[in-house]
Amino acid sequence: MVTYLVGALNGLAMGSLLFAIALGLSLVFGMMDVLNLAHGAVYLVGAYVAVALAGDGASPAAFVLAVPAAAGAGAVLGGVLAGLSRATPHHLDQALLTLGVSLVVAELLSVFFGNDVHSVAAPAPVAGSVTVFGESYPVYRLLVIGFGVVLAVGVYALVERSRLGSLIRATVADRGMVSALGVHTGRVLVGVFAAGAGLAAVGGVLAGPILGAAPGLDEKVLLLALVVVVIGGLGSVRGALLGAVLIGQVQALGTTLLPEYASFLVFAAMALVLLLRPAGLLPARTAVHA
Amino acid sequence: MPVLPVDPRRLRSGTTVLALAAAAALALSGCAGSSLDQSGGGQAGDAVKIGLLVPLSGVYAPLGEDMRNGFQLYLDQHGGKLGGRTTEVVTGDEGEGPQTGVPAAQKLVTQDQATAVVGVVNSATALGLRDFFHESKKPLLVANAGADDITAARKSEYVWRTSFSNGKVGAPLGAAVAKEVEGGVYLIAADYAAGREMVAGFRRTFEAAGGKVAGEEYTPFGKTQDFQPFLSAIRGTDAKAVYAFYAGAEAVSFVKQYRQFGLADSTPLYGAGFLTEGGVLDAQGDAAAGVKTALHYSSELDTPRNKEFVDAYRKAYDEAPTVYAVQAYDSAAVLDKALADAPGGTGEEVAKALAGVGPIDSPRGRWSFDADHDAQQKYYLREVRDSGGTMVNAVVSELS
Repeated sequence: MVTYLVGALNGLAMGSLLFAIALGLSLVFGMMDVLNLAHGAVYLVGAYVAVALAGDGASPAAFVLAVPAAAGAGAVLGGVLAGLSRATPHHLDQALLTLGVSLVVAELLSVFFGNDVHSVAAPAPVAGSVTVFGESYPVYRLLVIGFGVVLAVGVYALVERSRLGSLIRATVADRGMVSALGVHTGRVLVGVFAAGAGLAAVGGVLAGPILGAAPGLDEKVLLLALVVVVIGGLGSVRGALLGAVLIGQVQALGTTLLPEYASFLVFAAMALVLLLRPAGLLPARTAVHA
Repeated sequence: MPVLPVDPRRLRSGTTVLALAAAAALALSGCAGSSLDQSGGGQAGDAVKIGLLVPLSGVYAPLGEDMRNGFQLYLDQHGGKLGGRTTEVVTGDEGEGPQTGVPAAQKLVTQDQATAVVGVVNSATALGLRDFFHESKKPLLVANAGADDITAARKSEYVWRTSFSNGKVGAPLGAAVAKEVEGGVYLIAADYAAGREMVAGFRRTFEAAGGKVAGEEYTPFGKTQDFQPFLSAIRGTDAKAVYAFYAGAEAVSFVKQYRQFGLADSTPLYGAGFLTEGGVLDAQGDAAAGVKTALHYSSELDTPRNKEFVDAYRKAYDEAPTVYAVQAYDSAAVLDKALADAPGGTGEEVAKALAGVGPIDSPRGRWSFDADHDAQQKYYLREVRDSGGTMVNAVVSELS
């Protein structure tokens, strides 16, 4: 029983990270119909920012500094991607374009940081473990859960309770109408693209002490983020949250219960959702709420 | 070739035929070049071309870099000559698997006319290349790929291995762990051929020495980033120790999380040496302290031969050598001896000479080829310890 409780807790930690990473992908997909395949590469940029600034045995200050640095780098990259993807209206072209960008970014990272696997140490004060349900559990992961809760509440307040949020939701629902009201939707789109990419890069920093940074990690993370988006439904914050928590649990708890099927569980969950709710659990069109 | 009617499918097959024809022409011209070369050859002192097939891209790229460094170091120490011949090294990128590795090897042999090819990290690539080298009558020196079948079931007179086979890396630790650990041992590895072969090798000797297996689990290969569920399962058994095989990014995650989730303090971790080798150990840092592994090399080996090698390697590349570097270095040493015994410098002669190279005086200790063309060598029990701020694989003892 205790094993399952710890598994569920761990699922929440992974879910928090996945939420931060998948949110931008979902909003950009929902709003602009752009499948941003460079999202994983943006994540990896964040992870390597953490490696460069915080590395091994770094001070907590350096780690904290890595968060805005990664957010900035991610936002710039997101802005560039938004500009590039507007050059062509075709979905396949955009997907190929972002895929190309992701390959270039991954290659540049491997040129600068080499092909070795890098790890990021958790900031010293939270590097230890505490006893949870009688098992020792890393403090840092508890912190990540806390971050996930804060992020979810913050994004909810922003999207659901602010004027900017209503603009974003309206743009997801009907871009033409918002444009007709005299709002420059292009700016909203670029802004959301940049913010989403920044968030993915921050996810890269925060996941650093858990997943590290290595060539190829971008593809694994992109795949998981896509699964989260498909399960949650496109363009919806609540969908991304639900999908992320669900996939976190499927990975952690599911693997505890059925270790021999660990590699299929995530995709089985996705297939199940696609069968029952092809549009995802909380898609933006039926539920324009956050 | 039918030109009309223009059916895109046809057209494509037409282009394929053209491409094949072009490739065949290229191969033919290559062959013509080779026969010219050979007619001019014959005496020692001629140049020789060696193909180096190592991953320069993809997840295995760090291994490829070490192997290239090791091979180059031997050449530099011997005036750029192998067997008295000026050696030209042609490098091919093996990539991550057979889809890139096999064509790269074929190019080295057919187009670049390499006399022998050294390298190959991936086992599937090595197995996929076996027939090609056997039929081309060119020697392949496998300097890493560990699949048991490369030298056992599917051995060829043209395929020789200077590294290890998975089962033999797992085996030496079995008896030692059975003696050291009172109680069951949990076996965990990545779910692919190497993981299963390493565990099978360990299990055989471990159970023969009276050890008890407390549980066995194979984790999805290349897809597992979070080992918490598996670590929790280990905690749920009464295992007194764990034997693990992982490499690369998974080795880093596993060893770090093994400590983060508090298992390292209560349950000693044993493994195949790749768990804590080279760049992987740098990334693990303190988390790896106390992990005991078995491997045929450690940069900490206290022999004059190894000290001299480590010094030279550090001087050239500013880092400690890894087992991968040594395997490539030894491959060069093997070729040095074989080429000296192959007056014509043909692939067939080199392959024959490989059978008679005798013991190799290597940084890992003396070793020689066994009847299966595999390296017969000593294995060392290593323990990760702090040495002046960096973690190293200290040598505890020799394993029999």
